[in-house]
Amino acid sequence: MESSYVTLLSLIVFLPAAGALVLAFFPRDKGDAMKTFSLVVTAAVFVLTLIMLLPGKGDWQFQVGVSDMQKTFSLPWIESFNIYYFMGTDGISFPLIVLTAFVSMLSMAASWPITKYVRAYCILFLLLETGMLGVFLALDFFLFYVFWEVMLLPMYFLIGVWGGPRREYAAIKFFLYTLLGSVFMLIAILMLYFASDVKLLSDEQLAAAHVIDASLPLEEQTARIGELRAHAGPIHTFNILALQQIGQHTEAFDVKILWGKSLQWWAFLLLLVGFVIKVPSVPVHTWLPDAHVEAPTPISMILAGVLLKMGGYGIIRICYPICPDAGYDLAYFVCALGVVSMVYGAFAALAQKDFKRLVAYSSVSHMGYVVLGIGVWSAVAGNEFNADAWKLGMNGAMFQMIAHGISSPGMFFLVGVIYDRVHHRDLDKFGGLFAKMPLYAGLSIGIFFAGLGLPGLCGFIGEVFVTLSVWNFSHALAVVSASVVIITAAYILWTLQRVYLGPEYKGPHPEALTPMTSREVLIAAPLLALAIVFGVYPQAIFNYMTPSVDQTVNELATWTKDVKAPRIHDEATAAMPAPAAIVAQQ
Amino acid sequence: MDPITALPKLLGAAWLIPLASFALIVFFGPRMGKAGAKAGWVATGAILTSCLLSLFALFFVWLPNYKLPGPVEPHITAESRTGDAHAAGEHADDNHRAKDGHAGSKEHPAAHGGASHAESAVRPITGDWYTLGKFGELKITIGYYIDSLTVLMFAMVTFIATSIHFYAIGYMHDELHDVEDHEVRLADGHHLHRKGRFHRFFQYLSLFCFSMLGIVIAGNMAMVFVFWELVGICSYFLIGFYIERKSASNAANKAFIVNRVGDFGMIIGMMVLFGTLGTFSFGDVDGQPGIFSLVRPGADHQLIVPDGMIKAAAFEQIAAGVEPTAEQIAAWRADTAPGTPGHWAYWLMIIAGLGIFCGCVGKSAQFPLHVWLPDAMEGPTPVSALVHSATMVAAGVYLVGRFFPVFVPEVLLTIAIIGAITLFIAATIAITATDIKRVLAYSTVSQLGYMMLALGVGGWSAGMFHLITHAFFKSLLFMCSGSVIHACHTNEMTEMGGLRKKMPWTAYTMLVGCLAIMGAGVPFSLGLSGHYSKDSILAQALSFRAVNPMYGWVFFVAAGGAAITAFYMFRLWFMTFAGAPRNKHVYDHAHESPRIMYVPLVVLAVFAVAAGWSTNTFNIDGLVGNFGVEPLLEQARPLGTSGEVHGVLMNVVHPDEHDSHLDQFHSRAELVALLTGLTGLGLAIVFYGLRILNPEEVRAQFRPIYDFLIHKWYFDELYNAIIVTPVMFVARRVAEFDQVVIDGLIHGVALWTRGVSVLDDRFDRYFVDGLVNGASRWIFRTAVWLRGAETGQIRQYVMFIVIGTVALFLLISLYTSTLAG
Repeated sequence: MESSYVTLLSLIVFLPAAGALVLAFFPRDKGDAMKTFSLVVTAAVFVLTLIMLLPGKGDWQFQVGVSDMQKTFSLPWIESFNIYYFMGTDGISFPLIVLTAFVSMLSMAASWPITKYVRAYCILFLLLETGMLGVFLALDFFLFYVFWEVMLLPMYFLIGVWGGPRREYAAIKFFLYTLLGSVFMLIAILMLYFASDVKLLSDEQLAAAHVIDASLPLEEQTARIGELRAHAGPIHTFNILALQQIGQHTEAFDVKILWGKSLQWWAFLLLLVGFVIKVPSVPVHTWLPDAHVEAPTPISMILAGVLLKMGGYGIIRICYPICPDAGYDLAYFVCALGVVSMVYGAFAALAQKDFKRLVAYSSVSHMGYVVLGIGVWSAVAGNEFNADAWKLGMNGAMFQMIAHGISSPGMFFLVGVIYDRVHHRDLDKFGGLFAKMPLYAGLSIGIFFAGLGLPGLCGFIGEVFVTLSVWNFSHALAVVSASVVIITAAYILWTLQRVYLGPEYKGPHPEALTPMTSREVLIAAPLLALAIVFGVYPQAIFNYMTPSVDQTVNELATWTKDVKAPRIHDEATAAMPAPAAIVAQQ
Repeated sequence: MDPITALPKLLGAAWLIPLASFALIVFFGPRMGKAGAKAGWVATGAILTSCLLSLFALFFVWLPNYKLPGPVEPHITAESRTGDAHAAGEHADDNHRAKDGHAGSKEHPAAHGGASHAESAVRPITGDWYTLGKFGELKITIGYYIDSLTVLMFAMVTFIATSIHFYAIGYMHDELHDVEDHEVRLADGHHLHRKGRFHRFFQYLSLFCFSMLGIVIAGNMAMVFVFWELVGICSYFLIGFYIERKSASNAANKAFIVNRVGDFGMIIGMMVLFGTLGTFSFGDVDGQPGIFSLVRPGADHQLIVPDGMIKAAAFEQIAAGVEPTAEQIAAWRADTAPGTPGHWAYWLMIIAGLGIFCGCVGKSAQFPLHVWLPDAMEGPTPVSALVHSATMVAAGVYLVGRFFPVFVPEVLLTIAIIGAITLFIAATIAITATDIKRVLAYSTVSQLGYMMLALGVGGWSAGMFHLITHAFFKSLLFMCSGSVIHACHTNEMTEMGGLRKKMPWTAYTMLVGCLAIMGAGVPFSLGLSGHYSKDSILAQALSFRAVNPMYGWVFFVAAGGAAITAFYMFRLWFMTFAGAPRNKHVYDHAHESPRIMYVPLVVLAVFAVAAGWSTNTFNIDGLVGNFGVEPLLEQARPLGTSGEVHGVLMNVVHPDEHDSHLDQFHSRAELVALLTGLTGLGLAIVFYGLRILNPEEVRAQFRPIYDFLIHKWYFDELYNAIIVTPVMFVARRVAEFDQVVIDGLIHGVALWTRGVSVLDDRFDRYFVDGLVNGASRWIFRTAVWLRGAETGQIRQYVMFIVIGTVALFLLISLYTSTLAG
C-alpha cells in the first residue's frame, strides 16, 4: 500500500526533475525536440494526476468523499532532526495539484515562441514544476520549506533571463520579496519546531497526525507509542499534521514570548506575511505587476495560475490549523487584508494602460477573495458556533483559487498571443480585433467574462460564495466586498471595449494580426471550456474539495467552542472586577 | 396531466430549448445557410417551440387543474371606508399592533373575508433541479417556483419573443450580406465596410430568451441572481451589437455597469437573507421552509420578522449567554424600541427588502439608475422591443412582485416613492425627445415607474397586470418604430411626417399602441388593455391616499403622468405619421415593411387591445368559465398579502388591494384616467395634430425648462461629475500610490541597503583591509630589516641559533620557576 503511494507521489513530484536531468543530454541544436520532450514530461505528470482524479477505488485513485489525508507515506530523511520525507494529499491540496500539472502542461505548450537558451529554459521550467508540486504534497514542514525554496530560484532565472526589458529589476524584486517571506516563514517554522512536543498528543491524535502509522499492526503501534512516551525530553516535530494537533489540542504554542503576545501569535503573523506576499495582498503586492509584465507569457501563466495559490494554500493548511488562537484574534485583520486587496487591486486595474499590468492587478483583486473567504471566522458564540457561513467562505475561497487558476493563465496567455504579433501592450493602441481575429476575440471575451464573475463561468461561483459568507462575519467588510463587483465590471468591460471593439486597429504592425494558430487555440480553448464546466457544474470541484475543507472548518469551530470561548469568558471575568469587589471598594 | 410533475418538465423544456438554439448557433451559425441565414429560423423555431409548450402548459395543464377565482369583490362595504376620519381611527390600534413588533395584517370580518381567498390560493409547485454547492445546512441550487404568475409570464415572454423573432428576420436582413455602416467613419475617411452578422444576432437573442425564462421560473434568489446577470450580459451584447460604433459600446458598458450598481445592493440584500435565514428558496422545497414561509409562518400568513433575523440581531445577547428559546425570540420580536434586538431585526428586514429592490431599480431602470435605458436604444430595434421594453426591464418589476411577501410597509413605501419619481422624470424628458426610440425608451421608464408605484402602494395585481399589458403594447410600439426606422433610415422624428400614407400597417398598428398606452376606453364598459391596468393602478393609489394622506401626492403624480403620457405618445404619432413630410428625401424613399415585419405588428396590436379583457368583461364567464389576465394574477396573489398592513417604524398603512374595487376609488380613478388622458391627447392635437399652437414658440417661452428637459435633467453630467470622474481619480491615485509610495518605500529600502553595503565596503577596504595591510606592511618592513642579518655565513647563523636557543632556554626556565614559585 504505502510503497505504492511512495511511487505515485514521488513520480508526480520528481518526474519533471528527472526530465530536466535527461534534457542535459540533448544535442545543443535540437531546441524543438527539447520543448517537445518537456511537454511530454509535463503531460505525463498531468496524466498521473488524471489517474488520481478518475473515479474508482484503485490504489492510485483519489478517494472522493474522504476528508482525511490520503495516499500518505512517511520515510525518515534526517532523523536527528525528526525530518521525514512525508507526503500525502487531501481535498484541499489535490485540486491544486491537478491544476498545477494542467497549467504547467499548457504553459509548456505556450513556450514555443521561446528560442533563447532553450535547454536552460526547459530545465528550469521542469525544476519549477517539481518545486510547485512538492509544496502542495509535502506534509513535513521542513520538506515544504525546501520545495518552497526550490521553486524560487528557477522562477528568478526564468524572469531574469527570458523576460522583457526590465527583467532584471523585476526578477530581483520578485526574489527579494519572496525571500523575505521565506525568511519569516523559516523563523516561524523553527519557533514552532522547538516549541512542539509530540508526547503531548494522545494516542488517537498521534495516529491522526500520522506520527504513528495507523496501517501497522496494533501491537507495533502500541510499541512505537511506548517508545515515544519513554523518550526523555521533548520530541520536536516538523510534521504539519502533528503541529495542527498540537496547536488545536494542547497549550504548547501559547507561551507568551514578546510584548504580551503568544508564540503562536507571532508564528501566525510571520507565516501570514510569508504567505500573503505570495498571494499577494496589498501592501506587499508590488512585485506582482512588475514580475508579470516582464515575465515571458508561459511564466506569467505559471505565476498567476499556480504560484499565487501557494499563499492561499499555506494560509488554509498551515496558518489557521496550527495557530488557531492567533487566527481567531487576527481574523478581522486577515479579512480586512483580503477586502483591501480586492478593492485596491480593482481600482489600480482601472487605471492601467498596459494590458498585462491590468491583468496582473486583476489577479491582486481576485486573490483578495481567497484571503477573505478563508478568514471569515463566523463560528462564534453569538451565532451558537454555527460554522456554515465559514464553510461557505472557505469552500468559496478554495474554489476561487481553482477558478482563478483557470481564468488568469487564460488572460495572460491571450495577452501574450496579441503581444507576440504586434509587440506592444498599450491598451490605447488596440481596437477592432473582433473583426480581425474573431476566434481570438471570442475566446478572450469568454475568459475575461470568467474573470468578471459572470454566472455560468467559473469566476462567479468563487466570488459569490465568498461574498455571501462575509455578512455573518462583518457587515462592513461584507458591504465593501460586495461593491467590488462594480469596479470589476468597469475595468473588464472597458478593457474589452478598448481592445476588441471599435472599427479598426490603431496600433503598430496591423499586418501582423493573423488568426490564432492551432497550437494557440489548443491552449486557450481548454481553459475556456473548463471555465464553463466549472461555472455550470461547480460540484466537479466541490466533490473533491468540500469534505476536507469542511473538516478543517469543523475542527476549528469545535476548537472555538471548546477552547476559545471559555478562554474569552475567563479573560472577560478576570478583567472585570467581581461585583463583590466593587461593593467592597465602595 | 398531473400539474405537479408535468409543469416543471414542460416549462423546463420551454426554458432550455433556446439554450440549445444558442449552443447550435455558436458552433454552427456561420455554416447555417448563406451567411448564416438559417440561424434566424433555428432561433425562431426554438422560441416558437417554447411558446407552444408554454401555451400548452397554460391552457391544457394549468387551467384544467386550477379553477380561476371569480371576479374580485372588495372585502368591505363602502361605508366602512369613508376616508381619513376612519383611517385616523384605525391608527390608534395600529400603534398597538406596532408594539407587537410585526407588520400586522388586518382581517376584516366581512362576507368576502380572507377565507374565500384561502380557497382560491393554489400552492406553488416548487423543487430543485440541481445543486451548485452545499455546505453544512446552506445550499445553493437551481430550482423552480411555478404558480399562475410563472405560467402567465412564460406565455407572455415566449409569445412576444416569438413575434419579435419573426420580425427580426425581416428587420435584420441587411446583416445577411456585407454592410456599410454609415455611422462609423474610419481613419481614412471612408465608412466602415464589414461582413454581416445575422447569425450572431440570433445567437444572442436565444441566449437572452433562455436567461429571461430562467428569471421567471427561478425557485430561489441565487438562481434569480444568476439569470439576472445573464440577461444583463445578453443586453450588453445586444446593445453593443454594432461593436464598431463607439456610442454602442459605450452604451453597452453603461448598461452593464449601472446594472451592477443595482446588483451591489441586491448582493447585500441576498447576504442578509442568506446570512440570517440560511436559504434562498422562495417556496418550501422538500419540507425545508423557504423564505416566504419563514417570514409568514403563521396560519394567517402574517408578515413577521423571522426567527433567523431576530437571532442575528440578538447576536450580543446570545454571545452573553442568553438562550434563544422560542419565548425569548418572541419577546425580542415584540420589543421594537430603538436599540433592542427587535428594532435591529426589523431593520434587517428593511435592508433585505431594499437590497433586493436595489437590483430591481437597476434592471427596471428606475430613478436614480434609469440613465442606462435610453442609451440602450443603440441596439437594433427588435432588441429594444424585446429586451428593453417587454421582458428584461420588466424583470425588476417581476422580482418585486415575486418578492412582495417579504417587503415590509416601509420598503413598499420606498418603492412607491421611487416609482412615482421615476414615472414623472421620465415622462417629462419624453416630451422633448425627438429620437423616436428615445421617446419610447423614456416612456418605458415611465411605465415601469407606474408598475413600481402600483406595487409600492400595495397594488400587487395592479402592478403585475400593467406589466403584462405594457409588454404587449410597448413591444408593439417599439416594433412599429423599428418599422419606421427601417423605412426612413433615421431615428429623428424631425425628419419624418406624413408617413401614414406610405406605411399604413405600421401607422395604424402604432395608433392602436398609442391608444393602449394612453389607456383609451369608454368608461365603465370597454377599453384597450392599458385602460384596465392603468385604472387599477390609479384606483389603488387613490385607496392608498385615503389612508395615508401625507403620501397622497403619489396619486397626483400618477394622474399627471397619465396626461403627459398621452401627450408625448400622440406627439410621436403625429410627428411621424401625420402632417406634411418634413424631409422630402426620406419621405420619397419610405416604404411599408415586408410582411414578415407587419404581421407580428398586427398580432401584437390585437393583444394590445385585448390583453386586459377577461371573460367577465363580456359577462360570458358563466358560459366558458372565468378566464383572463386578472383572474390568473388574482390566483397567484402571494398568501397573506390581501388585507391591511401597517408599518412599524413609520406611520404607513397599505390598504387591502381588493378595496380599490370600491366605487369610491375605482370609478373616481376611471374618471381621472379618462380626463387626464383626454387632456394629454387634446394638447397633442392642438400642438402637433391640428397645429393650432406652435411648439417652437412655447419652447422659446420656456427656454430654461426646455433646456433642462432636453438635457435629461442633467443626470449624465451629474453622474459624470460625482461618480465617474472621482472613481477614475481614485483609480489613478491608487496606481500612483503603488508606484510612488509602496515601490518608493521598497526602492528606498533597497537604496539604503546598498548605501549600507557601500559603507560596509569602505569599512572593509579602509579599516579592516587597512589593518590587515598595515600589519602585513609592518611585517614586510621588519622582514626587510631583518634581511640585513642574512649574510650567507654559516658561522654567523650557527651563532644566532645558539644564542636563540640559550635565550629561549633561559626564558622558559624563568617562566617555569615563577610558576613553581
